[in-house]
Amino acid sequence: MSEPRAKPELHPLVDIDPIIHAQGRLMILTYLYVVESADYVFLMRLTGLTWGNLATHLNKLEEAGYIEIQKKFEGKKPKSLLRMTEDGRKAFRAYKNNLKQVLDDLPE
Amino acid sequence: MQQPVSLKSAERKAFQATFADGLWDVMIGCVFLMFAVAPLLSESLGDFWSSVIFLPFWGLVYLAIWLTRRYVVAPRIGKATLGKPRQRRLVNLGFLMVIINILLLLIGMLAVFIFPSVSGFLMAVILGVVLLFGFSAAAYFLDYPRFYLYGLLLFAAALVGEWLYQNYGVSHHGYPLCYGFVSGVMIVTGLVTFRRLLKDNPLVELPVEAA
Repeated sequence: MSEPRAKPELHPLVDIDPIIHAQGRLMILTYLYVVESADYVFLMRLTGLTWGNLATHLNKLEEAGYIEIQKKFEGKKPKSLLRMTEDGRKAFRAYKNNLKQVLDDLPE
Repeated sequence: MQQPVSLKSAERKAFQATFADGLWDVMIGCVFLMFAVAPLLSESLGDFWSSVIFLPFWGLVYLAIWLTRRYVVAPRIGKATLGKPRQRRLVNLGFLMVIINILLLLIGMLAVFIFPSVSGFLMAVILGVVLLFGFSAAAYFLDYPRFYLYGLLLFAAALVGEWLYQNYGVSHHGYPLCYGFVSGVMIVTGLVTFRRLLKDNPLVELPVEAA
């Protein structure tokens, strides 16, 4: 039996990336999209997420290849910097365009 | 959870989080403190030493601000490297500021050499306009509306100082009084902003795995 297919007019909705679409991950990617890199504290402050939530979302985004976490040292202290990958940027732009198309096509 | 985000507002919010800690206000206030104090110091130290003495003063202020950013602000609000469009705007602002500083230097030299033959008000207007233009450009490039107000205050300080000098004989073209007031406004505003930042952003203790 064939799988149910979305109606043609809903195809953009089907293309919306579920990894990005979660509220917490969308906020994280939005901020990482507009900066070169950021640390954990910066993202926690701007998104309002707790460390536990942030870490969970970051793991998913890293597994998807949308962000990378660079470990470096500042003096003797280890420091992690988060950066959006090129794949992440492409996926975010596609997500933005798809969502815009879906919302633009909705009647008032 | 949060207010809706657009990419533009997110970018602005991210930038302001790295910039609007009040310490720039303090730094600039300390720079304009020179306008207020240098004329008074020049009476006892002479023109050269009254200017030179500010270099170590600014150096100390800059060092204090750098240390505060690193050890007090960064652990509270985190760190981010700005995106390329914002970096380009900062470079453009840097070029503009170099031009404005050269202009200010020329005005200063002009004032020394031909001041007696030029109306004091004209010099005050020129200085005020250059400062207003510089601060307006900074406000625009940095998305920092408070700098428009500072530009207006500095413009007014130049004119009011000259007016006080010509009408009431206030010393040094009113610089100590007017620029003292404006630099005080900047420093107090910066300190209040900084205090609010400390209050709103308590220290974040991250677990070991976050390192």
